[in-house]
Amino acid sequence: MLRYAWQFMKYDKAKSLGIVIGIIISIFLIGQQTGIFIFLTNAMKALVVNSKSDLWVVDSKTVNANALGKLDIRKVREIQSVEGVAQVFPVVVAGGTAQFDNGTTAGVQVIGSDEPAYRIGLKKEKIIGGKIEDLLEDGAVSADYFDRATLGGALLGTRFEINGKKAVIAVQTRGVRGFGGVFLFTNIEKARFFGNQSNNTVSAVLLDVTPGTDPIMVRDRINKSVFGVRAWTSKDFEASTVNFLLSNSGIGFSIGSLIVFALIAGFFIIGLTMYSAALDRIRDYGTLKGIGASNGYIVRLILLQAFLFSLVGFALGYLFIDLFRRGVSKAGTVFEFTPGIIFAFFVVTLVISIGGASFAIKRIISLEPASVFRG
Amino acid sequence: MSPIAQVIKASKEFKSGDSIITALKPSSMQLEAGKLTLILGPSGSGKTTLLSLIGCVIYPTSGEVIIDGVKTSSLNARKMAGLRLNKIGFVFQQFNLLAPLSAEQNIMLPLTLMNISASEAKKRVKDAMTKVNMSHRASSLPKMMSGGEQQRIAIARALVTEPPIMLCDEPTASLDSASAQLVMEELRALAREGKAVAIVTHDMRLKPFADEIIYVDNGEISKTEIIQNI
Ligand SMILES: Nc1ncnc2c1ncn2[C@@H]1O[C@H](COP(=O)(O)OP(=O)(O)OP(=O)(O)O)[C@@H](O)[C@H]1O
Ligand SMILES: [Mg+2]
Repeated sequence: MLRYAWQFMKYDKAKSLGIVIGIIISIFLIGQQTGIFIFLTNAMKALVVNSKSDLWVVDSKTVNANALGKLDIRKVREIQSVEGVAQVFPVVVAGGTAQFDNGTTAGVQVIGSDEPAYRIGLKKEKIIGGKIEDLLEDGAVSADYFDRATLGGALLGTRFEINGKKAVIAVQTRGVRGFGGVFLFTNIEKARFFGNQSNNTVSAVLLDVTPGTDPIMVRDRINKSVFGVRAWTSKDFEASTVNFLLSNSGIGFSIGSLIVFALIAGFFIIGLTMYSAALDRIRDYGTLKGIGASNGYIVRLILLQAFLFSLVGFALGYLFIDLFRRGVSKAGTVFEFTPGIIFAFFVVTLVISIGGASFAIKRIISLEPASVFRG
Repeated sequence: MSPIAQVIKASKEFKSGDSIITALKPSSMQLEAGKLTLILGPSGSGKTTLLSLIGCVIYPTSGEVIIDGVKTSSLNARKMAGLRLNKIGFVFQQFNLLAPLSAEQNIMLPLTLMNISASEAKKRVKDAMTKVNMSHRASSLPKMMSGGEQQRIAIARALVTEPPIMLCDEPTASLDSASAQLVMEELRALAREGKAVAIVTHDMRLKPFADEIIYVDNGEISKTEIIQNI
């Protein structure tokens, strides 16, 4: 049957090509939108993802890592004294405007954490230039390679101003980018300095629990005993941030509707082309019925073709998705598909091509075996 | 010897909108092993309808059709398909080879449907092709062959399952006279081997091949003629 199915597909090359192209287009659109969605949600939670700690503690009203409230410095000491807390790492986020010699200006977020731990934004594996010790120098901050266009071409060593104060890019990272503003990482003093912030507040507190302690227990303890703050696990804080931004930005809706559109369009392109291909072969299917093939056999023959179409369409579609992924990653839109997502793409391909085949199947099932005697 | 196919007072009506078309009035006939039966009659007389009843592609409106002892009226569509596959070989005016499949694969097709093992099927396909003198075109697609060649492949496909009944609807109408002669000789040879062969035609020139002629006119069997061949 595999052979027959393949020959049916090969025989009508134009229609088969149409079906495969339909599959490729819809799976590519779906993959592209999914990729952008992954990229955007990664950017939304980038601050949390690029930090290292057991728990995050923020102002009790804060649900979005990109809009942190203020914590009084006394709260930091209170948190430090909660049982199970080993060490706290305050974080200061200060908004500002970066101004470059070539006239470019850009909104930036200067994010400071205590040296030499630098628990936020400065993971070793993301640093591609400069030495982390250099951040101790006057005005030294990090900048991301992929933000260079926004920053007027600024790379390692570029001197510029933040809120009118002298700054220099001392460390270059790759792939640590925010959602909206540009991230510049440095130590706490400089973040306060650039943002004109008082020494009495911080934006968030990262903390490690004592070895062997369950972070969840410590989280609950902080939430019960320290008033006006909220402790989160990183995962929960990421999820809360993404949920908040998705439901407040319309991104979820617009990408979701594009994916649904690609699904529907693919479904009908594939369905109608398969239907018309089946009509072209209606005499052959009639003959099959006439000489004694059961409906089951013919349905399997069509489903097998749909399956083979999905294999070919998926292989090519995924190739294009991956080319797209590599292409945009050069421009800083970096994302990865997990094996689960790739598998989901394949399932979607199967669903649209087998769903599309249902039109043809319906038509062929209704075909009378007696039709074989009529021209 | 009991007939392999019997039509007993079977009729067929078709609904067409509000009106009912009687394609075949209650008619009786039978096919016997070893005999070539011609079904002759003018266009629209009900020949194909009669053949469709014997061929188990339609159910009679009244009466019975019995194939190898089985009443078709008692069968569902799936069992009817099984009966066609196992008991009947079909040959059509337009040959009805599956266009995407090679000659060999077309002949193989019913054996695949019967789940016959590949090695056995290969052997049978080879024999069937030899029988119709078409071994040299095994891998050709139907569109690469002449009408006569296609019809011989269609005959090979019909006989490869070794059915007791062969039903042919105008098998020579699309062929030139030389090809028609060849095809008719093959069909007569199959009858001589013991198959019941029925051929629908309005071509009087086929008369010399017949053992029996059933005349159909205006939806009924008007006359049956037994021919004494030497
Ligand atoms: N499925 C159908 N629906 C309606 N009417 C039908 C159907 N099949 C056959 N008929 C009618 O029944 C009558 C007999 O048709 P049938 O096909 O048996 O004739 P025939 O003798 O084979 O004719 P021909 O030599 O032209 O093939 C015709 O009037 C035809 O129009
Ligand atoms: Mg007819």
